[in-house]
Amino acid sequence: MTQSTTPSSAAPAATELPEEALALIGVKKTRRVLVTVRDIKRFAQAIGERNPVHYDEEYARCSRHGTIVAPPLFCQSLTFDDVSPSELAPDGSPVELNVPIPAQRAMGGGSEYVIHRLVRAGETLTVTSQLKSLYTKQGKNGLLYFIVVETAFTDERGDAVATENATYIKRV
Amino acid sequence: MTPTTQIPELEITPDAMQIFMFSAVTWNRHHIHYSKDAALAEGHQDIVVQRALIGNFLARLLTDWLGDSGEIRELSWKVVHSALPGKKLRCQGVVTGESRLGSRRILSCDLKIVGAEQQTIATGAARVELPGID
Repeated sequence: MTQSTTPSSAAPAATELPEEALALIGVKKTRRVLVTVRDIKRFAQAIGERNPVHYDEEYARCSRHGTIVAPPLFCQSLTFDDVSPSELAPDGSPVELNVPIPAQRAMGGGSEYVIHRLVRAGETLTVTSQLKSLYTKQGKNGLLYFIVVETAFTDERGDAVATENATYIKRV
Repeated sequence: MTPTTQIPELEITPDAMQIFMFSAVTWNRHHIHYSKDAALAEGHQDIVVQRALIGNFLARLLTDWLGDSGEIRELSWKVVHSALPGKKLRCQGVVTGESRLGSRRILSCDLKIVGAEQQTIATGAARVELPGID
């Protein structure tokens, strides 16, 4: 769904995406993150999930998982890089959305999330994110810019744990 | 759980504390999730429930239904209207198909979140896995 632009020395057309934005597509950033029991417990509380398999070690030990496991979409808590506030845009939106396009107001659009297995407390995951695609659509009140960010989560053996393709929308 | 099975509805009313907690655990510092002034300035009616939290509401709909025996394998959703604090959300789903992957049962589901004014907040789809009978 990547939109290409036609090189031109003239002023860019409204639907044209800047070359410097398109150049960011496919550039990967990688981090490693240790997942703790506390991380899982807090995520479960934040989403309103009360299943004790996410926080009660004794209960979890007797479950089919044998240990504390995270809710299915837990990897979302690892998606946004914890950069300094000075590195964020003025609206505080995640640094993953810092794409040089002529639009500022960001909002979430949707997501495609694949879960290979539940995350377990105590494991270290590798988080690899990249700008997957950029495209525009004409909205009711102006041009909408769609930013698709892919985040892949793998375990210490390199096996896939989860992958999310999240779509964000920016408006002027 | 056969095709056309209705998934038991889940009602959730997110509040400002939940939106705050979710921003905290995801380290999402976008101001439309905690500053009403900023949210209004960007054209929203209030602070906004995060896209990702909307997905977790759909995940809870599925895990509440599946219990400990099944697991979500794929979940997709699209936010159609902003969800706001204090406004009840009704998470709904229906099983639309079933297939086999070896001894495992894979169910396809269509999902939806309906707001207090009957507006569609989000649409979604999922594939969930259940242990087989073999």
